[in-house]
Amino acid sequence: MTETVLTRSSGKPAGDRAAVSLRGLTKRYGQVTAVDGLDLTIRPGEVVALLGPNGAGKSTTIDMLLGLTRPDAGTAQLFGLPPGEAIRRGHVGALLQSGGLLPDLTVREIVQLASALHRGGPARGAAGRDSRRTRPVDAVLDRAGLTDLAGRRVGRLSGGQQQRVRFAMALVADPDLIVLDEPTTGLDVEARRAFWAQLREETQQGRTVLFATHYLDEADSYADRIVLMRAGQVVADGTAGQIKAVVSGRTIRATLPGADLATLAALPGVDRVEGRGDSVLLHCIDSDTALRALITTTPARDIEVVARGLEDAFIALTMEGAQS
Amino acid sequence: MNLTYLRMEIRRLVRNRRLLVFSMLMPAILILVLGDTYTGDIDGVSAKAYLMVSMGLLGSMSAAIGSGGTIAVERGLGWNRQLRLTPLNPGKYVLSKVVLSLVMALPPLVIAYLLGTLALGVRLPAGTWLLVGLGSWLGALPFAALGVVLGYLARPDSVQQVSGLLFMLLAAFGGLWVPVEIMPHLMRSIAEFTPAYWVGQVARGPLFHHGQLSLHALAILLAWAAGLGLVALRRFQADTARA
Repeated sequence: MTETVLTRSSGKPAGDRAAVSLRGLTKRYGQVTAVDGLDLTIRPGEVVALLGPNGAGKSTTIDMLLGLTRPDAGTAQLFGLPPGEAIRRGHVGALLQSGGLLPDLTVREIVQLASALHRGGPARGAAGRDSRRTRPVDAVLDRAGLTDLAGRRVGRLSGGQQQRVRFAMALVADPDLIVLDEPTTGLDVEARRAFWAQLREETQQGRTVLFATHYLDEADSYADRIVLMRAGQVVADGTAGQIKAVVSGRTIRATLPGADLATLAALPGVDRVEGRGDSVLLHCIDSDTALRALITTTPARDIEVVARGLEDAFIALTMEGAQS
Repeated sequence: MNLTYLRMEIRRLVRNRRLLVFSMLMPAILILVLGDTYTGDIDGVSAKAYLMVSMGLLGSMSAAIGSGGTIAVERGLGWNRQLRLTPLNPGKYVLSKVVLSLVMALPPLVIAYLLGTLALGVRLPAGTWLLVGLGSWLGALPFAALGVVLGYLARPDSVQQVSGLLFMLLAAFGGLWVPVEIMPHLMRSIAEFTPAYWVGQVARGPLFHHGQLSLHALAILLAWAAGLGLVALRRFQADTARA
C-alpha cells in the first residue's frame, strides 16, 4: 500500500482505494442522535443515492463526510484522506443544499473565483510534482448551462439557475467525487430533468457521485446503488431491485380455486397468504423457493411474480422507524 | 493571499456602493459643513488641518469596520461553508478581510485630503502630508480587526446597526467629533482608553510635532491592533471549530 502511494505519479487516486469510507459515524444534537454509527463504503465510479425522508440524517452525514461538521464519534475518509485534505487536493466537488453564493458577483466571476481558489491548492498527486489542474471556466459554464447567464449577477438568478451556479462551482476543480445534497429541491420538473442530464454526462466520465435525495424516482432512475437511511442509520443498501426485494420479498399471484390457505402458508419461502376469490396472493420471503413448491405441489395457474414498488419499500422501511 | 479573491472582494464592495459611498460622503459633508466653524488654531495647529485629518479618520475607520463586518453577512449567506469546500485556508480568508479593510480605508482619506486642500485651503509640508496619511492609514488596522470580531459576533441582520453604534461611540470618545484638546477633563480621561483616541494621536501627531510621528502613540495603536487582532483570531477559531 505504501509502495503504491510512493510510486503513483498521476493525480488520480488509486483504484483500490474507496472514494468514500465512513466508519461508525455518529452525530448527536442534544437528545437527538442525527446520525447513529453509520458505516458506508463507496467505490470509485459508483453513483450512489442517499435516500431517506426529511430528518433521516442525510444532510448531517454529508456535512460530516465533507468535514463541515465534526462527528461525535467515528471517522470519514475520502480517497484515504481526511475530508479537509481531500478537498484541499481537489478530489471533491460539492453542491450544498442552500446558500453558499455571493449575490454581488456575476456568474462568471463566482466560477472564476472558485477556480482561482482551487488553483491555489496543493498538487493532487502524492508525489506533489504535477501542477494543479482545474477545468476551464468556459467549459464548466457550458456544462452547467450557464453560458447565456455568465454576465448576470448571481443574486438576480432564479432558484434553479442558482443551483446551476453551485453545480458549476462543484465541477470547476475537476473533482473525482461529486457530492450533492438534495440537488433538485425546489426545481421544477423540466429543470430537474435538465440537471440530471448534465450530471449524467459527468458520471459517464467515471466520476464517483453521491447524492442525497428524498425523491424516490431520482434515486431509482439515476443511481447504481441506493443507500436507504432512517433515523440516522442505514436500513437498506443495494440496487433499486435489491432494495425492493429485501423489503417486501416478492409477491406471487396465482389462480387456484378452492385453495387451502393454511397449506399454502406452510410452503417454504412463504410469509403470508391472502385469498381473493379464485386468486391467491403469496407474500414471500424467498419467492424462488416458494414458486418451486407452488408449481410442484398445487395445480396453480396464471402465475405471476411481482416485486413491490420502490415506493412501497421506501414507506415500509422508513415507517418502521416512526413506531420504534 | 489569493489575489483573485481580494480583487473579487473589492469588486463586491465597490458594486455594493453603500459602504464606499458612506465612508467617503461622511467626511466630505462634515468637512464642507464644519469647515467654516474651525478657525484659528488648536494648540498651535491650524484648526482646519485638524478637522481634515479627523474627518479622514472617521471615513477610514467606518470603511475598515464595515469591511470586516461583511463576514457576518457572508456567514448568513453560507459563504463560509462554501469556502471550506475549497483549498482556501480559513486564516487567509480573515487576512483578506484585513487587507480589504486597508484598501477600503484609502478612498475616504483621499477625499478628505482633497477637500481639505481645495475647500479649506490646508497647506502642509510634503513630509507632514506623508506621515499624516500613513498614520491615518495604519490607524485602520485596529478597526479592521474590530470589524472581523463583529463579523463573527453579530448577526447578519444587525451587524450594520451594531457596528454603526460602536463606531459613533469610538469616534466621540476618540476625539474625532470634538477635538480632544477642548474635551471636558473626564471625557478626555475616558478617551485615552479607546483605540480611536490613539489613532487620532498618531494621525495628528505630525501636525503638532513638526512632522514627527509620535512613537509613544504609535506603540499604543499597534498594541490595540494586536489585541483586537487576537480577539478576532479567537472568534474565528471558535467559529471554525463549532462548525
